[in-house]
Amino acid sequence: MKILVADDSRVMRQIVIRTLRQAGYDDHDIVEAEDGADALSKVSSEKPDLVLSDWNMPNMTGIECLEALRSSGSAVPFGFVTSEGSPEMREKAANAGAMFLIAKPFNEDTFKEHLDEVLA
Amino acid sequence: MTEFDTRFEDTGERRRTSDAPLSIHDLLDGETVQSIAQEAWSALVGDDEFLVPLPGGLPDDALSSWVEIVGPWTGTVVLTCGRSTAEALSRALLKEHAPPVLEVEDIEDALGELANVVGGNVKAVLPGPSVLGLPEVGSAPTAGSPADTCRVDLLWRGESLTISVQGAAGALTDPHENNQNEVPL
Repeated sequence: MKILVADDSRVMRQIVIRTLRQAGYDDHDIVEAEDGADALSKVSSEKPDLVLSDWNMPNMTGIECLEALRSSGSAVPFGFVTSEGSPEMREKAANAGAMFLIAKPFNEDTFKEHLDEVLA
Repeated sequence: MTEFDTRFEDTGERRRTSDAPLSIHDLLDGETVQSIAQEAWSALVGDDEFLVPLPGGLPDDALSSWVEIVGPWTGTVVLTCGRSTAEALSRALLKEHAPPVLEVEDIEDALGELANVVGGNVKAVLPGPSVLGLPEVGSAPTAGSPADTCRVDLLWRGESLTISVQGAAGALTDPHENNQNEVPL
């Protein structure tokens, strides 16, 4: 399976990828995107099985990317990994079609809890 | 009119009180800020990485990263440390992916992301709705008013590091306009 990790921070992309490995998802292909627009483009070209996206990014935010994906008919499983996890954001994410929202900081157990359903 | 009725008569006093600007001291304390920062350190820097609440002196080459919060309380969450500490933090975050020589972009990225995670969790304990800006990095910004600043002085691996949650009177209302390299105060 292929996982697309979208975050404008290269450091945070590395941390997300490392946490995926620590959570046991070490046999998946990883593709990186540096903002929402890049993620939108790579969903089309790379056809990932799951998108893990930051919310707050320049050019195109994560929620804008998700809304654009759903508007275009894409049903790719999509989850947020973001520094904010307010009830309002969780509701907005769910309404837009996100499967989950993982708030930073996170660990491998948080990833397993949310990703097992998608990647197992 | 009974005493009870008088007590609950709407004189407008309560409304005027609630309209007064919120001070950060009414919303969170240093212990909460340290707890939020420690959680971020444990998850991102390492399980055995501890922030000790002891004051120390920041070096002259201190570097800051910050995120702005705009809402019922408006201000900035600022992380400040020396450049060598910022480099050590970057290496700790990147771990085996840290290059032999770190680029400035890597250090700014790492320090900005730590401010982003701490700021996002500070925002979560403040009254909403509010908006979190994108992280910025630069020279240490001007300190906020002590009446609206919650600052914690910490040591990480024996090196000084401060986290300041500081109000910004007259701050920008649109966080997307805040792209300059100075904190608007």
